[in-house]
Amino acid sequence: MDNLNIGRHISGQFNEDLERIINHVMHMGGLVEKQLAEALTSVCDADEALAKKVLSNDYLINNAEVSIDDECTRIIAKRQPAAGDLRLVMAIVKTITDLERIGDEAGKIANVTLESLSGKHKDLLSNLDNLGRHVLTFLQATLDAFTRMDVDAAIKVHKSDDKIDREYEALMRQLMTYMMEDPRSIPQIMSVIWSARALERIGDRCQNICEYIIYFVKGKSVRHTTPEDLESLS
Amino acid sequence: MISVTPKNLSVPLSQQRVKLDLNNLSPEQVALEIKNLDLYYGDKQALQNISMSIPKGQVTAFIGPSGCGKSTLLRCINRMNDLVDICKITGQINLNGENIYDRHTDVAALRRKVGMVFQRPNPFPKSIYENVVYGLRITGENNRRVLDEAAENALRSAALWNEVKDRLHESALGLSGGQQQRLVIARAIAIEPEVLLLDEPTSALDPISTLTIEELINDLKKQFTVVIVTHNMQQAARVSDQTAFMYMGDLIEYSDTNTLFTTPMKKKTEDYITGRYG
Repeated sequence: MDNLNIGRHISGQFNEDLERIINHVMHMGGLVEKQLAEALTSVCDADEALAKKVLSNDYLINNAEVSIDDECTRIIAKRQPAAGDLRLVMAIVKTITDLERIGDEAGKIANVTLESLSGKHKDLLSNLDNLGRHVLTFLQATLDAFTRMDVDAAIKVHKSDDKIDREYEALMRQLMTYMMEDPRSIPQIMSVIWSARALERIGDRCQNICEYIIYFVKGKSVRHTTPEDLESLS
Repeated sequence: MISVTPKNLSVPLSQQRVKLDLNNLSPEQVALEIKNLDLYYGDKQALQNISMSIPKGQVTAFIGPSGCGKSTLLRCINRMNDLVDICKITGQINLNGENIYDRHTDVAALRRKVGMVFQRPNPFPKSIYENVVYGLRITGENNRRVLDEAAENALRSAALWNEVKDRLHESALGLSGGQQQRLVIARAIAIEPEVLLLDEPTSALDPISTLTIEELINDLKKQFTVVIVTHNMQQAARVSDQTAFMYMGDLIEYSDTNTLFTTPMKKKTEDYITGRYG
């Protein structure tokens, strides 16, 4: 929280307002992380009850997004934040959009559990689980960087999305081979593909959040830039 | 309905804003050039080595805490500080390439080129019309037609004409605070100065009159170079093209307003504009 430097406003109320939304974002991040972990566990253990719980809890994340969004709007209207404060509010507004979408992706993964997969394809799920665990670690590292507003950590996490992309592509190739071997299994494999795709998207959204962290701390937009540009910021 | 012309769409938003490189302005872009300006009130140094170029046809705002020297710097631009006995100034301020602190400068002529409006509206206890044409009268202009035309133009430019056209010969003191301030601006621009200095022009006005004046400032920059001192940071953000942040007699940061209010370079600036302890 050192980089946030929010406790030094002359207005104590403004300090409280900013602290409150940051705490809410962290809480929302925790919820999203839990949803993803449970969705992955439900797929791996074929735990339908857990999958249903994930789906029914999605509203918590949606509500958190709406309430944080409202709070940010209120802060902009009442406090007219500038410079770092403004960038913080903008970064939060964008971060919660991505967090909410990550929650939706977790729901898609939980849906896979509810579709019956024949015993033959259970081994596919272990590959999916592998990718899933990596993405979960990636999400945790992103949330950690957000909590500390740590640019170096954000750059490191941002770069490691490549690994997830490579893993995703390898899984895709494997799934395509299965489909060619046994076209009857296509419907089941398709649902695995959807969840692999969901995991890959989560990686991209984590990358976005890292970009918002860099924007807040450095005041520079790093969307659509090369890895070398990013490196020069650390 | 909002209409969007193809021209607006073909140019990326980031390029639709003209951003001047304040360190490398061409001579024709510069209205005022302040060079190594030091100012002392007796033994106390109030401005320290200020150097900056103020671009033509734009609004430049000075912001900073009370006593940081922003009003002092503004008053240097039309030599109002000459009226303070203990004030000593070194350095230069060039207007059209000529140092206004040169021994041969005609201060009255300088103040015709550099008009000024103060915090509290200060109309003369005369009619609205006489207030506006006062500057022209003292330069010897007595032709009724010329005066009428100048009064109408100035009042229109100051966005006051429609409100006062039927009562031009009533006392200016009967106008509201916001109207009086616009009248004073009309008086300042009637003599067609090159630079208009505004020293906290809206601090005594209500929010609606403030917005009217801000809108007016935006229109005025088409004809004049405007320099404004304001305590209201949001006002500086709204009306100015360039902002200079001053602190304890130093010019801390001077850059285009969009940059200064989103990504200031200096920590002192950031602390000030975000309302943090210094």
